[in-house]
Amino acid sequence: MTASFRDVELLSAYLDGQLDSNESARLESRLKSDESLRAVMDDLREARGILRQLPQRRAPRNFTLTPQMAGIKPPAPRAYPVFRLAAAVATLLFLITFVVNGLSPVAAPRLAAAPAPAFGMGGGGVGGSAPNESAPALQEPATQAPAQPFAQSMATAETPSAANDNSRVMTLAPKAAAPAPFSAAPAQVQPEAPVRNQEPVSTIWQIALGIVTLILGLTAWFLRSSSERKFRKQWNRK
Amino acid sequence: MAFKIFVRLRLSLVENLPPSVSICGLIEPMDEPALIQSAQHGDLDSFNTLVLHYQDALFNTALRILGDDELAADATQEAFLSAFKNLTSYRGGSFKAWLLRTVTNACYDELRRQKRRPTTPLEPDTSDGDEMDSPRWLADSNLSPEQKAEADELEHAIQHCLENLPLEFRTVVVMADIQGLDYTEVAAAIRVPLGTIKSRLARARLRLRECLQDFWELLPAAFRLEKERL
Repeated sequence: MTASFRDVELLSAYLDGQLDSNESARLESRLKSDESLRAVMDDLREARGILRQLPQRRAPRNFTLTPQMAGIKPPAPRAYPVFRLAAAVATLLFLITFVVNGLSPVAAPRLAAAPAPAFGMGGGGVGGSAPNESAPALQEPATQAPAQPFAQSMATAETPSAANDNSRVMTLAPKAAAPAPFSAAPAQVQPEAPVRNQEPVSTIWQIALGIVTLILGLTAWFLRSSSERKFRKQWNRK
Repeated sequence: MAFKIFVRLRLSLVENLPPSVSICGLIEPMDEPALIQSAQHGDLDSFNTLVLHYQDALFNTALRILGDDELAADATQEAFLSAFKNLTSYRGGSFKAWLLRTVTNACYDELRRQKRRPTTPLEPDTSDGDEMDSPRWLADSNLSPEQKAEADELEHAIQHCLENLPLEFRTVVVMADIQGLDYTEVAAAIRVPLGTIKSRLARARLRLRECLQDFWELLPAAFRLEKERL
């Protein structure tokens, strides 16, 4: 009688003591009478015995993990987050100073353009042909292009009323034209001076802020690297 | 003669045991649950204690599945790394079985990689087409060259037969017969029903026996010894 695969399974489990008492008793009685079954069990036992005799090799090296392998970072010092945050804020402020200072020259002409109508009213608001030519000449250095059309429009708007005062215009015109050579020079310098004075953050403050940023950043870096070094030393000592 | 070889082999194994394992084969007291718990909280020292304890079992499992020392070492390292990262998924039961699952997964990955990118071995092949290996214990000074050669032949024959088994049979037989896990542990490790384990193990043992029969002339001492011991 040849053993079925079910018998082989039972024999294999029997060898490992995985059968319950009833199954074991039944199989043992069959083993007594069935030689082929015994032969199969011998084969299974031999195979199992040889595998169990296979030498267990020792690991060629230790497979312990290092913090780097495990992705473990050293604990940061307590002061580190404070310095890191302070350095980040200082850096942000430092950059903001540049942005603010960079935007201020752009805003300056607009600020300068604001009094232009008042200036135009005084100089070009007199109307007439002569003032129409002289007024832009006066205002040109101060307000550049934007002031000119405004002054012109103001001048043209007021021409009808100004035509009545031709005599006054004629007397005023030379006055307005006469100081032109003298008033032109200060008019060119005048707009530059306020721009320099209006710089929101002075260079000294910027430098100071830069130094503070650098110190904070370096302190944070030093704290972090020293704790990392200490952590690595401790780990290597183990 | 054959008996002497195996006595020598076992002595050489005892000498090579890691410090955590005592001479009689019993593991020295180790509070495994406590170590696992602290390792789950990120304590690398505790995990490394467990690594030292189980590294031989994992390496041998990988070696028997892959049949190559270097690949087995890589798979073992990968398995421990993966085990540390996924330690929170361990929910009790046999920790050894859980670790063996990670190493078999690493071995399966390696075998899949090999299928995708087959490589040619640099070492010379034997006459039957198997790559020659040089087991570490060949360097054991307690064995004579003749004994070493016989021991090498035995290991080589077993490894050859293991590699001829289908992967799922090989894994079961390595875990049950080489690593000594019981059926429930093997079932938990490779996540298959208990009945499947029984069936695979029976088939694997039969096939191995048939395969080893071909090495009868090569390994008569080993077979005789086994019969004598029974």
